[in-house]
Amino acid sequence: MKGALEVRVRNSLDELARLAEQVEEFCDAQGIGPGIAYNLNLAFDELITNTISYGYDDQAVHEIIVRLAVANDTVEAEIIDDGRAFDPLSREDPDVDADLDDRQIGGLGIFFVKQFMDEVAYRREGDYNVVALRKGLAARD
Amino acid sequence: MEISDTQVNGIHVLDVTGRIDSGTAKSLEDKVVGVLDGGAKALVIDLSKVEFVSSAGLRVFLLAAKRLKAAGGKYGLAGLQPPVREVFEVSGFSKIFSLFTDRAEALDRLG
Repeated sequence: MKGALEVRVRNSLDELARLAEQVEEFCDAQGIGPGIAYNLNLAFDELITNTISYGYDDQAVHEIIVRLAVANDTVEAEIIDDGRAFDPLSREDPDVDADLDDRQIGGLGIFFVKQFMDEVAYRREGDYNVVALRKGLAARD
Repeated sequence: MEISDTQVNGIHVLDVTGRIDSGTAKSLEDKVVGVLDGGAKALVIDLSKVEFVSSAGLRVFLLAAKRLKAAGGKYGLAGLQPPVREVFEVSGFSKIFSLFTDRAEALDRLG
């Protein structure tokens, strides 16, 4: 069964809840389990938060486009924004073995994206950043 | 996201409902900082009704942990739902926090 979703969100952190709800409904309708829906929403939260926090030089409203597509045994997603060129994969992983005193949060968001998605890729297309994600649905949990 | 605040045997318990994402984490941080600034030395955060946590939420939990450690206080998180637990495991946070099955266990162990 094939299915696709496109959600456009404003560059505001309070849009994340609305996006998550639509992603959950889509996953449910496609027979994709809540665990994978969580993984997708986590990836979107982390990537979009970075974009909103660091991606723009102005105070204007910007649109961020999230697309999901299901085919065979995978779900693919793209997040497209018109912020400044930034490759989220260029950040270093955090030290997940650090003890409490040394532990920091920096880099954790992108680390989650890489851990919970099977494939992550970044490209710049003209004035846009495009992050592409892929997750296998082998078990359709 | 909603937070209710009670005290049980001198332990502050914050009961959170909903999503802790980048949009809501600031309110949680404000609440936690308020409780700690008020002198709380023992804190349990009940996450049994929290269905989503991202790194923004982990940042708040980490902040509380560092402050309570510096103050010689006690701290625990309770009732993590399985996908939230997985986030803690993958990030290594399950090793640096005390995670309890539920509020009752947390209160029993920290009391």
